[in-house]
Amino acid sequence: MKKYRVQVMVCTGTGCVSNHSFEVRDALEKEILKNELQHEVEVVNTGCNGFCGAGPIVVVQPDNIFYQLLKPTDMQLIVQEHFLKGRPVKKYLYTPPEEKTPIPKMSDIPFFSDQTLIALRNRGMIDPENIQDYIARGGYKALAKVLTSMTPNEVLNEIKASGLRGRGGGGFPAGVKWESCKKAHGSRKFVICNADEGDPGAFMDRSIIEGDPHAVIEGMIIGAYAIENVSEGFIYVRMEYPLAIKRFQIAIEAAREFGLLGKNIFDKEFNFNIEVRRGAGAFVCGESTALMASIEGKPGEPRAKYIHTVERGLWDCPSCLNNVETWANVPQVMLKGAKWFSSIGTGDVSVDPWGGSKGTKVFSLAGKVNNTGLVEVPMGITLRDIIFKVGGGIREGKRFKAVQTGGPSGGFIPESLLDLPVDYEELNKVGSMMGSGGMVVTDEDNCMVDMAKYFLKFTQEESCGKCIPCREGTKRMLDILEKITVGKGTEDDLVLLEELSDWIVEASLCALGGSAPNPVLTTLKYFREEYETHVRDKKCPAHICRQLNEYIIDEKTCIQVGHGCSVCKKHCPDAAIIGETKKIHYIDPAKCGKCGVCYDVCNFNAIYIQ
Amino acid sequence: MVSVKIDDKQVQVAEDTSILKAAEKAGIWIPTMCYSELFEPYGVCRLCSVEVVRGKRSRVVTACNYPCREGLTVYTNSEKIQWIRKLIIEMMLSRWPNVKVVKDMAEKLGVTQPRFESLERDEDPNACILCGMCVNVCRDLVKAEILGFSNRGIKREVVLPFDMKSDKCIVCGACAQVCPTGHVKMIIEDYRGKKPEFTLGAKTSIYVPSMQAVPRVPVIDTTSCIHFQTEGCEICSKVCEPEAINYKMEDEIVEFEVGQILVATGFDIFDASNLAQYGYGRYDNVYSSLEFEAIVNSTGPTGGKVLLKNGKEPRSVGIIHCIGSRDSNNHPYCSRVCCMYALKFAHLIHDRTKAAIYQFYIDMRAFGKGYEEFYSRLLDEGITMIRGKAAEVVEAGWKREDEGKLLIRCEDTLIGKFREIPVDMVILCNAIEPRKDSDAVRKIFSISKSPDGFFLERHPKLDPTSTTTDGVFIAGCAQGPKDIPDTVAQASSAAARMLSLIAKAEVEIDPIRASVQEEYCSGCKVCNNLCPYTAISFVDEKKVSYVNEALCKGCGTCVAACPSGAMTGSGFTDKQIYAELEGLLEI
Repeated sequence: MKKYRVQVMVCTGTGCVSNHSFEVRDALEKEILKNELQHEVEVVNTGCNGFCGAGPIVVVQPDNIFYQLLKPTDMQLIVQEHFLKGRPVKKYLYTPPEEKTPIPKMSDIPFFSDQTLIALRNRGMIDPENIQDYIARGGYKALAKVLTSMTPNEVLNEIKASGLRGRGGGGFPAGVKWESCKKAHGSRKFVICNADEGDPGAFMDRSIIEGDPHAVIEGMIIGAYAIENVSEGFIYVRMEYPLAIKRFQIAIEAAREFGLLGKNIFDKEFNFNIEVRRGAGAFVCGESTALMASIEGKPGEPRAKYIHTVERGLWDCPSCLNNVETWANVPQVMLKGAKWFSSIGTGDVSVDPWGGSKGTKVFSLAGKVNNTGLVEVPMGITLRDIIFKVGGGIREGKRFKAVQTGGPSGGFIPESLLDLPVDYEELNKVGSMMGSGGMVVTDEDNCMVDMAKYFLKFTQEESCGKCIPCREGTKRMLDILEKITVGKGTEDDLVLLEELSDWIVEASLCALGGSAPNPVLTTLKYFREEYETHVRDKKCPAHICRQLNEYIIDEKTCIQVGHGCSVCKKHCPDAAIIGETKKIHYIDPAKCGKCGVCYDVCNFNAIYIQ
Repeated sequence: MVSVKIDDKQVQVAEDTSILKAAEKAGIWIPTMCYSELFEPYGVCRLCSVEVVRGKRSRVVTACNYPCREGLTVYTNSEKIQWIRKLIIEMMLSRWPNVKVVKDMAEKLGVTQPRFESLERDEDPNACILCGMCVNVCRDLVKAEILGFSNRGIKREVVLPFDMKSDKCIVCGACAQVCPTGHVKMIIEDYRGKKPEFTLGAKTSIYVPSMQAVPRVPVIDTTSCIHFQTEGCEICSKVCEPEAINYKMEDEIVEFEVGQILVATGFDIFDASNLAQYGYGRYDNVYSSLEFEAIVNSTGPTGGKVLLKNGKEPRSVGIIHCIGSRDSNNHPYCSRVCCMYALKFAHLIHDRTKAAIYQFYIDMRAFGKGYEEFYSRLLDEGITMIRGKAAEVVEAGWKREDEGKLLIRCEDTLIGKFREIPVDMVILCNAIEPRKDSDAVRKIFSISKSPDGFFLERHPKLDPTSTTTDGVFIAGCAQGPKDIPDTVAQASSAAARMLSLIAKAEVEIDPIRASVQEEYCSGCKVCNNLCPYTAISFVDEKKVSYVNEALCKGCGTCVAACPSGAMTGSGFTDKQIYAELEGLLEI
């Protein structure tokens, strides 16, 4: 292998690619050629770094210098200054909000320094399309260890002892699942990887696949070996992730070439192959039975799980389904041991596999935090640490209001519970869930009724429509919320909302319906006064629900600062604004359609909301 | 067997039986709306929700698909369950207020008015309630998998693939049968589009072929039976108590040893769609004679009523004679029976409707006993006889006042004018023609055919029932077109001939036949294939040919062909003939 003086890691995760990181890379390569540095500087395409808010990102190794928010035109300066003269370019370095001195080293940036990496350990370090890079970072070492020195039962016991629990949402102990699949009768068994990540704003699995696909594949091979009688595996990826599909296919091809998939792996009597199946992108296909139906070529609809999928799953054969992140954790557990893994996290899993949450969890941090992106943190960390330390606090110094965890069907957690340790049971207790790891932070400018409506609208639209509670019930709830946000709600509606929520949770066929009312239930629980203000006073405290706003022109500002510019009058679709140019304008409340256009277009902040 | 407790009643059921069935056994009613024994429980209406307790855990499950296990305790009517069911039916009632099954269920569960209004409210009493019964029966029972759901959430609907008519649909109607609201309907389309052989109306796949069938038992039509198309269904075998349904039964070949054979294989009727000018197969109300015969039959599809395709009575009917017969392009011969059955049709139509009847004939052939009298009677009944072969049948154009009627164009040779007669229904008198497989049958029995294709009798006047092959007789339309009395007469004669041979117990055959002089036969087998009566076979052990004396007619073909002179006429060897000559000449 050729050695280079400098390696430039260009992030080609989806976030950075959409911010033109490929153009940045091309400009960089051009500059390097221009300065004849091609034998000294290597450009590497890597997977997602997680700090997507700062993309496109370039990390220069071995100095570990972190450049952010780059444009193709910036490359000349970086090559000139950094690669030729050895001086990092200050103006492209990361500066924490409300501070002035930049932090040059990646490892010193709080966003990165407070994380613990297991599933994402190779992020930004390797070229995901090159199996050699993965192997160089200790990849497939765990598989070699497992196949050459351990029996299937030993592998299973190790996983059980580690306390690894499903990262897809339910938190079912992986070891228990594997064991029941192993015990189930059937000559043909499957392992399946659930990569149908459908939560809005969540991209943990996508980043793992796009950044480190071999970790998932290695995990699946180990799983197949432990469960025994498994020779086929499926990866179910949604069509919306074309890059993930491509990288999986490249990785599977490479693994086959290296003899890590196929017949007689490591000269053992163990055959295993993986196939990628593409989903059409229905949210409900992330549910295990719907996912399996979809792989079978049937419509993606869930069925009753009174007989578990580990006994009768894909094509009625025992099937072990785990999420991308779970599989990606497996090689590290095998390599470093269950003891190491279970030392991270909360509780005790030595007796009860449900007794604690072990290892780390990847969260996708979104909403009103400074550092949006992917973070991997140890279980048991408090929400406050995630949001204020790793996430860098709330944007523009505003006040934190609530955080929603676990995707669209997770609940909202208020400020009073910020010191809650993040673990499966604790989150369930407060009405939310771990889910697949979405984390949406809201601040004082968010209306909780509107947030609940937003997420319920998503689950309502994504409901497959099979059973009545989920299909009809969520729509009725949405209608009621809609009524409340336009000022037609009554107090009885709040009672009915609660009743409908409880009913949908009880009577739905699958977990989609079973958890869809969570945003409504938790906001009703923790932010009931906000609902009451909407219903009783017909006001939205955050001024988000426009139909409840009253727009008023401040006469003084209008004439003194804006000189009666009349922009608002021009834009008003209802012709509700009275007044002539250079004179004071007024809004006729009888005509005002409350669209809020005047508020948006006024250049002098002369319009305020009451 | 496991023991479960349902509402304080203890029931013993087989393991994995659904709670619903166990409750049925215990006499406890659980409401359902998407359940049927015809397919796997779907579990979407959630009305059958019950509370189960195993150990300390209690949870709500659907009774239709939750398997019974030992020690299970079930509550089917707790407060929580009542609340769940009421809300379900409230939801349904707010969306489909006029659907009968929903209203009935609401009444049973004590719900009169839903507490909320649905924006998707559908007033249709036959609205689809998305129970999925049609989809499931199509998938699980019929196994055709045509129906399915499309769209998500509240927009879900039952559709055909790509919202188009599917040619994979086997039109079994199971979906319409199970639909609880009447939303799925069967629409019988124009069968002429598919051109089946002989169909005049809807019938089930299991039917009794005709009231005269022997034995009179039902048969399965394998071309329309669901099981033979998709391997699904099998519902008839499930309900047949004596277990008489056997899907694997096949046609078999049975061998009988007999001394004589009567070939009475009948006829085919001429396919009128070959004569495109008459519009058969194109126009709705153009029928062949056999189809019309089925229509006027009292066990037929209309119960004997003469009706048009649209269900109305015809106001005028045209009957066209000589379709395919007396036609130099098709069959030159006269089919003999058409004139008379055409008169019979006219009589029946006159009897049952008020329609005007037109007969288009070349010549009326009312020979024989009582026929001419019948013809005179028909003329008295007022039917219109038009002499002249009809030229074509067309549909009247949209500009004409008789739009939609069929126009029969012909030359009326009696008045010497072209005429155009508008009618509602046209009946074609198809020619009688030999059966399509008659050549194959002929070869089996070594019998000949006349130029028109019918089997050839030994002598047209003196021996009309026997053939050139001894022991093989012919009768009926296999020999030539004839009506029922003639057929009966001919068949009786053939039967008498056969009985007389049986009574004799021995058969006398002509002494003139060939025989093989084995010492000269070289075994070349030339004669074997030449024999028109298949009387010569080869004896493998002796390597010589052998003549079956019962079959040999003494035609002499083999004698002339034998290269070694081994084949001779019995009693007429060269030696014998010379000896005879010598004896004669000495005197």
